[in-house]
Amino acid sequence: MNTLPSKTKHRIFSPSRVSAIAGNTLLELVRLKVFYFLLLFALLIIGTAGFTSVFDFKIQEQFQMLKDMSLGAMSIFTLLLSILATAMMLPKDIEDRTLYTILAKPVPRFEYLMGKLVGVFMLLLVSTLVMSAMFALALYAKQQVVIGESVHGLTPSQVLEVTADIKAHAFTFSLVPGIVAIYLKAALFAALTMLISTFATSSIFTIFIAFTAYFIGSVEGIAREYWYASPTSGQLAKIFLALVALFFPDLQLFNLVDDIVAGNAIPTALFLKTVGLGLAYTGVYSFVAYVIFSFKEL
Amino acid sequence: MATPAISIRNLTKVFPIPFKRERVVAVKNLSLDVEPGQVYGLLGPNGSGKSTTMKIVLGLIPPTAGTTQIFGRDSSMVDSREDVGFLPENPYFYKYLTGYETLLFYGKICGIRGAALRDRAEDLLKLVSLENARDRRLGGYSKGMLQRIGLAQALIQEPRLLVLDEPTAGVDPAGSREIRDLILNFKARGITILLCSHLLGQVQEICDRIGILHRGDLVREGRLEDLISIENQTELILENTSPELLGEIQALVTKSNARIVENRKPQTTLERFFLDVTGGKS
Repeated sequence: MNTLPSKTKHRIFSPSRVSAIAGNTLLELVRLKVFYFLLLFALLIIGTAGFTSVFDFKIQEQFQMLKDMSLGAMSIFTLLLSILATAMMLPKDIEDRTLYTILAKPVPRFEYLMGKLVGVFMLLLVSTLVMSAMFALALYAKQQVVIGESVHGLTPSQVLEVTADIKAHAFTFSLVPGIVAIYLKAALFAALTMLISTFATSSIFTIFIAFTAYFIGSVEGIAREYWYASPTSGQLAKIFLALVALFFPDLQLFNLVDDIVAGNAIPTALFLKTVGLGLAYTGVYSFVAYVIFSFKEL
Repeated sequence: MATPAISIRNLTKVFPIPFKRERVVAVKNLSLDVEPGQVYGLLGPNGSGKSTTMKIVLGLIPPTAGTTQIFGRDSSMVDSREDVGFLPENPYFYKYLTGYETLLFYGKICGIRGAALRDRAEDLLKLVSLENARDRRLGGYSKGMLQRIGLAQALIQEPRLLVLDEPTAGVDPAGSREIRDLILNFKARGITILLCSHLLGQVQEICDRIGILHRGDLVREGRLEDLISIENQTELILENTSPELLGEIQALVTKSNARIVENRKPQTTLERFFLDVTGGKS
């Protein structure tokens, strides 16, 4: 039997170990056929594109509806994917004892956790890119159909003007910040779900808590506005809201899509603030997940 | 004197019971050494503390008190696991990977890369007789095949110590014999083995030394031969013996102070009989 080259000194952190676990996690999710949901997404945007043509909507409204529906679906699909894919990972590895075989190798616990998370982030990235490509394709197809219908009997200069106007409503780079925010929100929820699964007793419990966190994050902005505006709200309520904001991200801050669909440009400062917030929450959740997991008795 | 492969000193593990004031003492003040090259059997009924001891040795859970070392290195430190391969009881691994991919994955997390890893994976598949199933997903493997791929992954980084938890649990007699033969093969290569098993017959065949745990206490420990041999008796197995010769032997025994305790035909084992009847195939 061949023998291996002489062993190298153990490294405290090895990107290649993390990438091996991340690659395996991505492969697991791909072979579990989670990408089937992309077919659903494709059907949804094709259906929406066809639906907007049937009724007598204005051109701008047709594009707005397609963008609204597609970006909304992207947001829901990436969120579902991040929570469902992450929730089953740790409990399944413990139940099947594969976790023991991995951690009995020279693999630190933070590398295992990081590898799993990076695998989910990669899956979300691929999914977001594919959905964005489908979305861009649907907008382009819609644009070509609308141009074809709108330019009959127009002079060349009018054709140029109408074409430019239609293109301005189709796929533009102003959509990119909205898609980035959707990805960040999904990545943040993957980290939060991983954190919950480090102490949860089952995948169902993890999923339930993650969706509860989503609900709290979705309404906390509205609740804060209401309570702050109310003359009867005291100091205690404000402290409570601050604590909620500390543990659960205000998801309204990640909702750049409404403005983008309405045709408003997202200021760079707001976009950078959203990115920073997403990365900060993801980082903090990942770190707390590591701390809990490092003390977990397996 | 060589550094022990495993050194356990005054190991105690206490598990608190949530929402109660009670505590379960899983292991009590355990001390033992496993010397390099030995096959050490850790025996005991369910709940005796075997798995807890093994998990502490592997750094999966921390001890309440005491220390564990692997080849002189603190086993709670990650680097000590460079020298360890582990096969848990009833492992499933990743069903979506093939046998070959499984070995590549475990090799990569041990820092092995490229041609060295591919060669090592191929060699190990041959060693555990799974070269014909290399491209089949583990979801389609039988129990015995899963145990064998488990042994192969445990060996991927050429560890000096193997920790095996019930390696033949749920495996049929032919598969069980193959795994036993593999363990003997590893022993011949100088690999130290810590084996936990309920199958005492198999432990007797394989192990050099055993420790018996009962309710967290190490109740007996030592060389297997020393522990189970009956010092004042001698076994003599004769072949093609005539009744006259037997009579003479009995007369000689009667004349002396000795006593014939039992006179019977030796028997083959049920395992040997089963394998002969089925042709040794699983």
